[in-house]
Amino acid sequence: MELFSEYFKKDHILSRIDARVKLLVALTILIMVLSYKGFVLPALVTLFCLFLCITMKVPLRVFMLRFSEPVFIASIILFLKLFFSGKDVLFSISLPASHFSLFTLTGYKDGLMDGLMIAIRILGAVSIVAVMGLSTPFTEFIAGLSWLRVPKGFIEVLMFAYRYIFVLFEDAMVIYNAQKNRLGYSNIRRGLGSFSALTGSLILKAFEHSHNITTAMIQRGYDGNMPMLKHKPFKLSEVVVSVLFITVMGFVWKI
Amino acid sequence: MKRQNTEHRTQKSESKVKNYGMLSLIAFLLFTVHYSLFAVSEAYAMHISEGILPFNWAALWFVVALPFVAYGLYKLKKLSAVDLSFKPLVGLMAAVVFIISCMPIPVPTAGTCSHPCGTGISGILVGPAISILITAVALLIQALFLAHGGLSTWGADIVSMGIMGSFAGFLTFKILRSMKINMAVSGFLAGLFADWATYITTSVELASGIKGDSPFVPLFTKILIAFIPTQLPLGILEGAMTAGMVVLLYKKRPDLLVKMRVLKPEEVTA
Repeated sequence: MELFSEYFKKDHILSRIDARVKLLVALTILIMVLSYKGFVLPALVTLFCLFLCITMKVPLRVFMLRFSEPVFIASIILFLKLFFSGKDVLFSISLPASHFSLFTLTGYKDGLMDGLMIAIRILGAVSIVAVMGLSTPFTEFIAGLSWLRVPKGFIEVLMFAYRYIFVLFEDAMVIYNAQKNRLGYSNIRRGLGSFSALTGSLILKAFEHSHNITTAMIQRGYDGNMPMLKHKPFKLSEVVVSVLFITVMGFVWKI
Repeated sequence: MKRQNTEHRTQKSESKVKNYGMLSLIAFLLFTVHYSLFAVSEAYAMHISEGILPFNWAALWFVVALPFVAYGLYKLKKLSAVDLSFKPLVGLMAAVVFIISCMPIPVPTAGTCSHPCGTGISGILVGPAISILITAVALLIQALFLAHGGLSTWGADIVSMGIMGSFAGFLTFKILRSMKINMAVSGFLAGLFADWATYITTSVELASGIKGDSPFVPLFTKILIAFIPTQLPLGILEGAMTAGMVVLLYKKRPDLLVKMRVLKPEEVTA
C-alpha cells in the first residue's frame, strides 16, 4: 500500500513549514475555491499546486494515481451536465446518423459551462489537498489537528488506525498470497469465499492486536489517555507569508 | 436570392455546429474511455470526490454528520472508561474498514473493479454510533493520503457511508436476528442494504450538489441509473462477504460476538 505522504520531500521549502500553518491555509483556500463561481480562482490554484508538485519532484505515477479518480469523476459530471442539464442547445446529434435515427443526443451550452465549472472546481480542490498530503507527514498533521481542538478521542483513534493500517495490510497480503497460491480466487464463488475469510481473519487479528497492545501499553503506564506532541510557537515569517498569500487569493475570489 | 443565401448560410452553420458537436462528443468519449480503461483501474462510486459539492452543500452535510460523530465520541469515552482495550480496538477496526474499502473486487456487469464499504460489518460488530466514528477516521486517512473522497466532502461521505451504511447494516441484522433468521442470511441482507443505502444517499448528495438550476428528481434518477451497473452487483457481493465474515466469526470466535453484544450467550451455547 502506498500512502502519498511517503513521497514528501524533507528538503522542500513546503515540507519545512509548520503543519498548522499549512492546514489553515489549505482549508481557507479550499473554502474559497468551493464558494467561488467562476473559472479563474480554481484554475490559478490548480496551476500553482501543479507547479509545487513539480518542484517537489512528485513521481509521475503517483501524480497520475492521485488525479485519476477526480479527473474520471469530473469527466462523468461534465458528461451528465452537458447532455442532461440546461436549456440553451449547443448541438444535437442523431444516432445513428441517418434518416432512421434511434435517438437524438442534445448538448446544452449552459450545461457545458456548469460542467466545466464543477470540473475545474474539483481539480482546484484536489490539488490543494494533494499538495498538503504530499508535503506533510502524518504525525505533524495529527499535531495540527490537536492544535485545532479536534477531540482527543478522535485523534487517538486516528493514531491507532494509522499505526495498524500497515501491520494489518501486511497480514492481509500474507493471507491473500496463501489463498491465491491455493487457487482461492480461481472463480467468483471461490473468490468471494476467500475474500470473506480474509476480511474475517483481519477482524480477528484486530481483536488480538488490540488486546496485546493494550497489555503492552498498560505495562508502560497507559491510563486511557495518550500524550500529544507539544506545539512550538509560530514563526513570524511563515505567518506573514501565509496571510499575504490568503489576501492575494481573497482579492481574486472577490473579483 | 437573399433568402436563399440566408438559408444556405443557416444550413452551413448548422452543419458546422453538428460537426463541432460530433467532434467534441468523440473527444469526450475517447477521453473518458481512456481514463476508464487505462488510468482508473477501479470505480470509486462510494466516495464523493474532493470539490464536487459547492460550499453550502458541503457545509450542510458536515452539520448533519457532526452530531452523529459527537455521539460516537461520547460512546467511545464511556466504553473506554470501562474497558481500556476498547479505544485501540476501535482504532484497529478503523484500520480494517480502511483496508476493506481499499480492496478492489471485480464487478462482472460493469467490467471494472469497485470496493466494498465495510461499514455494514462494523455496524453489526460495534454498533452504529462507534461505526460512524470508525468510518470518519478511515475516510479522513483515505481523503488525505489516498485520494479517495475529500476533505470538503468528508461530511457528505460520513453521512452516506458512515451513518446510512452503519444504521442500515445494524438495523437489518438486528431485526432479522430478532425474527430468528439464521446468521448467514441476516449478514447477507445487512451487507446488501448497507451498501445500497450508501449508494442511494451518495446519489442524493451528488444530485443535490451538482443540480444547479435544473430540477433535482431527473438528475437524481440519472445518477442512480448510472451507478446501477456497479452498485447493484457490488451490493450483492458485499452482502455475500458480510455473510461470510459473520459466519467465520461465529464459527471461530463466538465469544467475541457475545462480548460485542452481537449475540446473546444462550445463542452460542444453543
